Amino acid sequence: MTPALEVRGLRAGRVLVNDLSFTVGSGETLVLLGRSGSGKTTTLKLINRLLEPTAGEVHLAGERAADLPVTRLRRRIGYVIQEIGLFPHFTVERNVGLVPRLEGWPPARTAERVRELLDLVGLDPRQFSTRYPHQLSGGQRQRVGVARALAADPPLLLLDEPFGALDPITRVELQREFRTLEGRLGKGVVFVTHDVREGLLLGTRIGLMHEGRLAFLGTPDEFRSSDHPECQAFMSAA
Amino acid sequence: MRGGRADGRTGGRWLAVAGTALLLAAACGRRDRVVVGAKNFTESDLLAEIVAQQIERRTHLPVERRLHLGGTFVCHEAITSGRIALYVEYTGTAYTAVLKRPPPPIAGAESVYATVVRDYAQRFGLVWGKPFGFDNTFAITVRRRDAERYGLRRISDLARVAPRWKAGFGYEFLERADGFRGLARAYGLAFAAPPTAMDLGLTYRALADGNVDVIAGNSTDGQIEALDLVALEDDRHYFPPYQAAPVMRAGLLRLHPAIGPALDELAGKISDADMRRLNAEADVRHRDIATLARDWLHAALP
Amino acid sequence: MNLVQFYAEHSGEVLGLIGQHLYLVAISTSVAIAVGLPVGIALTRRPRWRGPVLGLANVVQTIPSLALFGFLIPLPLIGGIGARTAVVALVLYGLLPIVRNTYTGITGVDPAVREAGRGMGMTDRQLLLMVDLPLALGVILAGVRIATVVNVGTATIAAAIGAGGLGVYIFRGVAMVNDALILAGALPAALMALAADGLLGLAERRLAWRPK
Repeated sequence: MTPALEVRGLRAGRVLVNDLSFTVGSGETLVLLGRSGSGKTTTLKLINRLLEPTAGEVHLAGERAADLPVTRLRRRIGYVIQEIGLFPHFTVERNVGLVPRLEGWPPARTAERVRELLDLVGLDPRQFSTRYPHQLSGGQRQRVGVARALAADPPLLLLDEPFGALDPITRVELQREFRTLEGRLGKGVVFVTHDVREGLLLGTRIGLMHEGRLAFLGTPDEFRSSDHPECQAFMSAA
Repeated sequence: MRGGRADGRTGGRWLAVAGTALLLAAACGRRDRVVVGAKNFTESDLLAEIVAQQIERRTHLPVERRLHLGGTFVCHEAITSGRIALYVEYTGTAYTAVLKRPPPPIAGAESVYATVVRDYAQRFGLVWGKPFGFDNTFAITVRRRDAERYGLRRISDLARVAPRWKAGFGYEFLERADGFRGLARAYGLAFAAPPTAMDLGLTYRALADGNVDVIAGNSTDGQIEALDLVALEDDRHYFPPYQAAPVMRAGLLRLHPAIGPALDELAGKISDADMRRLNAEADVRHRDIATLARDWLHAALP
Repeated sequence: MNLVQFYAEHSGEVLGLIGQHLYLVAISTSVAIAVGLPVGIALTRRPRWRGPVLGLANVVQTIPSLALFGFLIPLPLIGGIGARTAVVALVLYGLLPIVRNTYTGITGVDPAVREAGRGMGMTDRQLLLMVDLPLALGVILAGVRIATVVNVGTATIAAAIGAGGLGVYIFRGVAMVNDALILAGALPAALMALAADGLLGLAERRLAWRPK
């Protein structure tokens, strides 16, 4: 089966990201773990071409990313950032339905999809559809952010510390829900975090980034028992 | 550049107005200072400068210049309220615009002068000096090529073309008793649209550039010749005589009796040709007004 | 002279001058928007031009209006005596607030919102029309309001170069030392400025998105 994402020899700048290669299958969550400045966020932006790689290739569900028009590519990749970036002047419904609308879905189908997704992320559509982002709590906003990323049913999701700005209780709640969601969605997920506990909870595999390189790539169990000094540094922090 | 220059001056005038209050407050303390004003066109500035230099060299009194103040009514207001002590006025302007008398009978230059001397003394306590000699009447002016094409020599010829023409005047001419309305009535001028009102200094440029077809200039203006324009003859004698002469506050002569004889020396000394030449030097060749005034005084009254 | 009586006797003329004044302001503000909005947007895409362009607009703003009219008069095509020159000058005055507010309005949009928009595959055009402009609209409209109000005032000076408008009464009043005549021009101009301020302020509140 074609992997949701395949990255080969990815490079940006001199050392920002250096010779990165990995694949993410459907239903699999790769957690990119690392300190600040280790190149995690850069890697995500190289995948959806918010940054252009200087070398290497990215394949999305078997297609070469560089061959796709950049807007097409991005509409096929769900993207969630820590600041969420909901459009403040759009209702929840319009925020979630954005990509389907950009893709020209019929309004009825978009509306149906929005209801489905709000249900999926645990927000009652009747209650939340017409609200504006400033009328939501931080956790509710991030649920909307996730729903928005899933809207056009992309094969791949990129999440950049999505729960980083939430209070600890909401955060744990969302982490648990996301864990159950992952399995149901059957999508490739790349999840960036510097929180090793979050990484071990959500990842089917852990990629440890250090100075722009992938210093370790393996299952959470392999990560726990690795003798790589950077892995051990993270484990002792946890 | 005539327009730009006139504009700069008008802009300066506002600054001057703002500064005037302060300066006058300071000037009040020094009663020996003679404040000479002028209207907002070159000839008035030139004459004020000549008068100022004549007072300076004959009486050695300090003279303060308030040039380019504004139109007739601004200057009249300034002299009656004592902001200035002296400025150069034209008899016909005083007669019709200030005293608001009906147009005088034909060619009565002496009677117009006598009337303004009498009425100014009675009504405003102002004294007229002797006329400088030239007569600066309004010059209803058109482009030479239009004058030739349509055979225009006199203002009465204008009635034929007026319905297709555009006129442009300064704000004062549009309002004065001896201004546009009376002129239109006297000559039966019916223009296509109401005249375009603009800053007086811009009218020649507007005519030369073809924005308007007829303007009211002054017969002694240098631009008439320089811009290849023609002044039409006032064949129905609508305009009164406009002899230029200094107007002073009576108190000025009481305080400084030497000023009277100094100004009398100028009587009859400036011919129409002199004035036209001085205006042309200033407006067309952009020569400095103070220098022009000094040179003329040295030549005419050594 | 009584002002009410003056207006009653000259109603046709007054309405004509008000019409000319509105025309000068409406045309010049429309052109200033049509030019200033794209320029402001372009500056957000080419930040290197920001300094020179805003600097130039600032310099134009500092030129006294009479002097600017004077500079424009000798120029071919856009100069001369009359309304056209006045409109050109008023457009130049209106540009700065509109360009500056468009620029600051768009650059003031939350970068996370723009990144999310781009990350979801919006084209530059979609980002501009669906995100940047709606979110910057309040600031942009404030610029339009400033430009309009300033131009209502500056347009009175256009009467010096034969452009008509309510300045005609003001200049006539100054020439004749007639306060009533000055007031006859200044009062409607002031009311017009207040009305423009009020209406555009209302539009700003009604149309612009604002967080609670």
